[in-house]
Amino acid sequence: MKIDRRSFLAFVFGGAAGTALSPLPWKLTDDISIWTQNWPWTPVPPKGETTYVASTCTLCPGGCGIRVRRVEDRVVKIEGRSDHPVNRGGICPLGAAGVQLLYSPWRVRQPLKKVDGRFVPVSWDQAIGEIAGELRELREAGAPEAVAWIAETDRGTTAELIRRFLTVYGSPNFIRTPSAQDAWETALYLTQGQRATAGFDLERVSFLLSLGSGLLEGWGAPPFVFRACGALQDRNGRFVQLEPRLSKTAAKAHQWLPLQPGTEGTLAFGLIHVILKEGLERKPFVATRTAGLEDLKRNALREAFAPEAVAQATGLEAKTVVELARAFAAAERPLAVCGRGAGRVPGGLQETLAVHFLNALVGSVNVEGGVIAVPEPEYIRWPEPEMDAVASQGMQTPRVDGAGSERYPLARYLLNRLPEALLQGEKPAVRILFVSGGNPLYSLPDSERTAKAFSRIPLLVSLSPFLDETAAAAHYVLPAPTYLERWEDVPGAAGFPKPLIGLVRPVVAPRLATMPTGDVVIRLAQRLGGTLRAAFPWESHEVCLRQTLAAAWEPLRKNGFVLDESFRPQPFETASRKFEFGNAELKPLAEFRPHPAPGDPGVFKLTLVPYDSLRLTAALGTPPFLVKALESEILWKNDIRVEIHPQTARDLGLADGADARLITPRGEARVKLYLTEGIRPGLVGMARGLGRGAHDRYLAGKGASANRLLAAVEDSSGFEAGWGIRARLERA
Amino acid sequence: MDQPKNKRYGMVIDLDKCTGCGACMVACMAENNIPFRDDDTDKLLSVSWMHVYRLSNGKPFPHAEECFLPRPCQHCEGEHGHSPCVSVCPATATDYDMHTGIVSQIYTRCFGCRYCMAACPYHVRQFNWWDPVWPEGMERALNPDVSVRMRGVVEKCSFCYSRYQTALNRAYLEGRRELSEEEYQTACTQACPAGAIVFGDLNNPAHRVHQIVKPDLAHGGRPRNPKVFRLLERLGTHPKVYYLTRRDWVRRAGDNEIQKT
Amino acid sequence: MDSALIPKGVERCPLGRFLVFIAVVGAVLLWGVVAMFLIYIKGLNQTNMNNAYGFALWIWADLAVIALGGGAFFTGLLRYIIGKDELKNIINYAVLIGFVCYSSALLILAIDVGQPLRAWFIFWHANVHSMLTEVAFCLTCYFIVLTIEYVPLMLENRQLQRVTFFRHLAHNMHGIMAVFAATGAFLSFFHQGSLGGVSGVLYGRPFGFRSGIGIWPWTFFLYTWSAAACGPCFTILVTRITEMATRKKLVKDNVIDLLAKIAGWMLLTYITAKIVDTVYWAAVTAPAMGFTLLDFYTNNPGSAYGLWILIAEVGICGVLPALMLVSASVRRNPRLLFLAVLLAVLGACLNRWVMILQMQAVPVLPFEKWFTYLPSWQEIATTILPVAYGIILIAFSYRYLPIFPQEPELNPLPEGGR
Repeated sequence: MKIDRRSFLAFVFGGAAGTALSPLPWKLTDDISIWTQNWPWTPVPPKGETTYVASTCTLCPGGCGIRVRRVEDRVVKIEGRSDHPVNRGGICPLGAAGVQLLYSPWRVRQPLKKVDGRFVPVSWDQAIGEIAGELRELREAGAPEAVAWIAETDRGTTAELIRRFLTVYGSPNFIRTPSAQDAWETALYLTQGQRATAGFDLERVSFLLSLGSGLLEGWGAPPFVFRACGALQDRNGRFVQLEPRLSKTAAKAHQWLPLQPGTEGTLAFGLIHVILKEGLERKPFVATRTAGLEDLKRNALREAFAPEAVAQATGLEAKTVVELARAFAAAERPLAVCGRGAGRVPGGLQETLAVHFLNALVGSVNVEGGVIAVPEPEYIRWPEPEMDAVASQGMQTPRVDGAGSERYPLARYLLNRLPEALLQGEKPAVRILFVSGGNPLYSLPDSERTAKAFSRIPLLVSLSPFLDETAAAAHYVLPAPTYLERWEDVPGAAGFPKPLIGLVRPVVAPRLATMPTGDVVIRLAQRLGGTLRAAFPWESHEVCLRQTLAAAWEPLRKNGFVLDESFRPQPFETASRKFEFGNAELKPLAEFRPHPAPGDPGVFKLTLVPYDSLRLTAALGTPPFLVKALESEILWKNDIRVEIHPQTARDLGLADGADARLITPRGEARVKLYLTEGIRPGLVGMARGLGRGAHDRYLAGKGASANRLLAAVEDSSGFEAGWGIRARLERA
Repeated sequence: MDQPKNKRYGMVIDLDKCTGCGACMVACMAENNIPFRDDDTDKLLSVSWMHVYRLSNGKPFPHAEECFLPRPCQHCEGEHGHSPCVSVCPATATDYDMHTGIVSQIYTRCFGCRYCMAACPYHVRQFNWWDPVWPEGMERALNPDVSVRMRGVVEKCSFCYSRYQTALNRAYLEGRRELSEEEYQTACTQACPAGAIVFGDLNNPAHRVHQIVKPDLAHGGRPRNPKVFRLLERLGTHPKVYYLTRRDWVRRAGDNEIQKT
Repeated sequence: MDSALIPKGVERCPLGRFLVFIAVVGAVLLWGVVAMFLIYIKGLNQTNMNNAYGFALWIWADLAVIALGGGAFFTGLLRYIIGKDELKNIINYAVLIGFVCYSSALLILAIDVGQPLRAWFIFWHANVHSMLTEVAFCLTCYFIVLTIEYVPLMLENRQLQRVTFFRHLAHNMHGIMAVFAATGAFLSFFHQGSLGGVSGVLYGRPFGFRSGIGIWPWTFFLYTWSAAACGPCFTILVTRITEMATRKKLVKDNVIDLLAKIAGWMLLTYITAKIVDTVYWAAVTAPAMGFTLLDFYTNNPGSAYGLWILIAEVGICGVLPALMLVSASVRRNPRLLFLAVLLAVLGACLNRWVMILQMQAVPVLPFEKWFTYLPSWQEIATTILPVAYGIILIAFSYRYLPIFPQEPELNPLPEGGR
């Protein structure tokens, strides 16, 4: 057949018209749009039965009750438990993002061993066996005290298992991660004779005076504190925040008094001065339930704490100091709290004592609406372990961190002093270090020095679920399950005024080849044999937990927590059975010495003050949702933004958003500026929690770490007392 | 059974209690399968149904004050349900539900023209500029009650409509047609550790939200409580999200109604 | 080589030169196509738009080209309905420019949506309350009308004319063109208007919102009016540019003068209405929403949206060209005429710019700041793409179709010619 132009055209046009009239194009158009509605790369979460599991959050010491929503075997959401006494349904942003920790692809999937500087996966058997071998060798060499263990907390069965292990092994070096509780517990012990944690009956306070505490930025159990602060408002109470920058807490307070950083203790003494001078103390309480007021008077009534002098030091007006003291003393239920920011740094003991004295003067100690000594739980009653000679000898040696020594008699744990101790001598004092919490290589100040010190340890074992900074530097990583995959008892909630035990329970089966820390301890003990094996009769941590809790297990399992509703504050246990403003142990602490920021003010004209944000974590890796929620005033692209006052910026010739180098005696960081009227001129405010060297791609490498720029500052008590460092900013 | 009366679901946020912690944002992200990206610092490119603004009184140190203002979708009623965004959508992908007062969004209907974004003065509508991607394994945490949105469509807060449906289904199974106040609460309300968010039916005098706001329902729900205000009251968008504060400067910073009358 | 295709009685440049020209413009076109595919494959993240700037360069380009393409409907209206017969000498070109403008607008719209593969939902799930629905329907219909108007023009090609069917088709289509012109004018009135309504109905955006009659805000009428005024100006402008490029006179002065005169009076009445509208908006509409005029023009970064822009739009690109165009002496001066139509065109573009871009830049919530936006190269490339396409289509049409009826008369061939 011959195709001429006409028939060709007819074919083309006819074909086109025919196709257009057929259902084909219309069907295709429809199909393509259906395809766009069901793109295979857009996930469709599978449906299934929804169930809820009650558990306890352990992402901070807050101890909130959580309600975990599961769809089949998947965890899809974490909510607050509305019937939980701590959080009553509320949840903090970190708690709400907890699922992302469970499903993070950056978790450690099985035990890792570092070979030639790189991690290789090993079996649990091999890892435990090799570590046990090292432990045995060290013990046989007669140096059991060269083992140390850093744990998140010193309470609960896991901590007790670790402590028991160390004891029977022969090492006194159980170290708890530092927090403001260190100073509070010591203050309670010194003044009240009570070995207890400090609870704050915030729900009944009428005047809340916060000396730098980030009440709304992670201090205590956030939902508990938040709700209490809200209720304070409803009751027309007063809330005064003393802090150099307009933090979220300061923004919420009725009054923000931007004092010079590091002068909180001076101000507390200044308030005591006014109260004593004007006789505003709560007379019945002070007269009948306290002793040693003369000692306090001798100290506080000095000229150094007169309003004028305090005004000079703090940058506030003398009038303000006097008015504040009067208002505080006149309030129905006043309460002063301290512990800077989220309370992750203990701070100077004298400072905490000053605040505690202030509370005692107005009668707010061990009463409703006051500071309450909450006794440590006593449900763990295991038989005394049998110890061999090596262990007994080892236990006689001084602690590596110096806690409890002649120099630091009051401190119980001094993780902050560990780097110093490790750097001493030809061989480091610690040969084997276990880290099951706290991520010290990130969270301790002066990161570079800390890293150097830790690198001297021949065997560093991390028990983190994540490849955090400490795990990355470890020789072995023994991954622990997350809090959604294991059993755990959580005694007490940070700052909560009543004794409470919470239960963590596995919401899902462990996703990866992990092992709870308690089980690692038991298995190590079993491997080591002898007295160690004998000291651990339990086959697993879970069994240990059930047996330990005994009668309490069932109610705890059923309800998820046990609250001692009937709890009333206990009588003081000092020699005088009174609150003591002065005694033999307090004597060396009488003369108050504030800690200046390290660095030469001539070279470093500014002062760097780190601050905490609820959208950033301190030790743990911040989950992606929180990084997403982080304000662009804190993180912009990959740069951290530091707060400075516009006047300071003008003096430096720098504008908002400008790139700068932030230099301190300890290091330097690339930063961007954020100009705000909400900070004292001369200061540089920097969020803690960025500049992570490890973790997921949403967090790693973003911003800079404040801890890299800060120096360790040691209080006379041994506690870490740093609140800032001298710094300067240069145009980048 | 009687046909249930129309609801006007709304919210009042106590700005004096809000601490700006961001729990509402995160709870919302978890509930509603909000995607996250390597860099989410540019909030104008980031999807977050709830956004917490930082308001300043504009005064110099040390008189500076700040306040945090969480902003979900305002679920504007406009005049007779003609909220600014609903009336402009060319494909009927968004709708004002007269039974609940909720402004919905049908992601599979939306073809991404973004007219609604231009129409909304509150910036509650956000575009999926990228394909949503979860790192391996983390898609296990996705909530099956809320569909994941594909690239190229607009999304916004739905007052956790899936939670409404779940609650309603349960009620129907139990032979009820009406939900109690606590049966249907949004994720942000439930999460707020400060108890700053109150959610409920503005039509129902028994609900706390009604009692706090005291809405004048004949006049677009204008609050009768003098401490309560709405964002951009004078535009006539008639939002159903109210803000409560005792601080004058916050009211002034939050809406231009007072300063310019 | 292609002489068989070139219309009778006119001279065209050598094919080689023509192809070089097409290649250069084609390269620009290709750049735009690359950007377009990049956007289709990777999505709208290739742009610099964001959640505050959901509408940006593309929507502006759409509004602007449609306003400028308004020359087609308005000239058609004058030629076929009002009976301004002289305009038959420019109507072809007006239709061609209109066709280019409208096809460009559709192309940009197809790039601009997040889900182009289901963009047809705008028809299937149409929401009658939406201005965009009205735009989509009228735009599509009018584009069909323009195609129908352009087809007989294509059929005028010498080779196509040899096909009897095409010859008859062209002839018959010419015969009923008045019907299409009327339809076009009707459709244009609505879609130009509804484009004006796009920002005018946004009562959440005090900068764009206008009161009006019934469901139509004042911008509805202002847009139609300004398209009728500035569209012909653009036709004149492009005609002049074509004349410059071809170094030939293609349309007689009296035709241009008539169109310019009508455009001038349209512009003068439009700008009067616009001023009244602006005053009413500044004095009544915006204050009722809690805004003062200066809220819209001050405190923005770099004064990108200072009061100057209002003065430029209404004064320099509005009142000034209007007064110039109504003056016969100005119209007679080719340079001044060129300047006047250029200003008018810029005025329309500027108006569309502020109504879309500034509308979104203005902070509405009292605690927000101005939003800034600079287009990405992909946006610029895809916006230039239709310009390149337009130039190519015009170049081909000019070369092979008898677009300008007066060309042979104005440019007699030297000796007998073809």
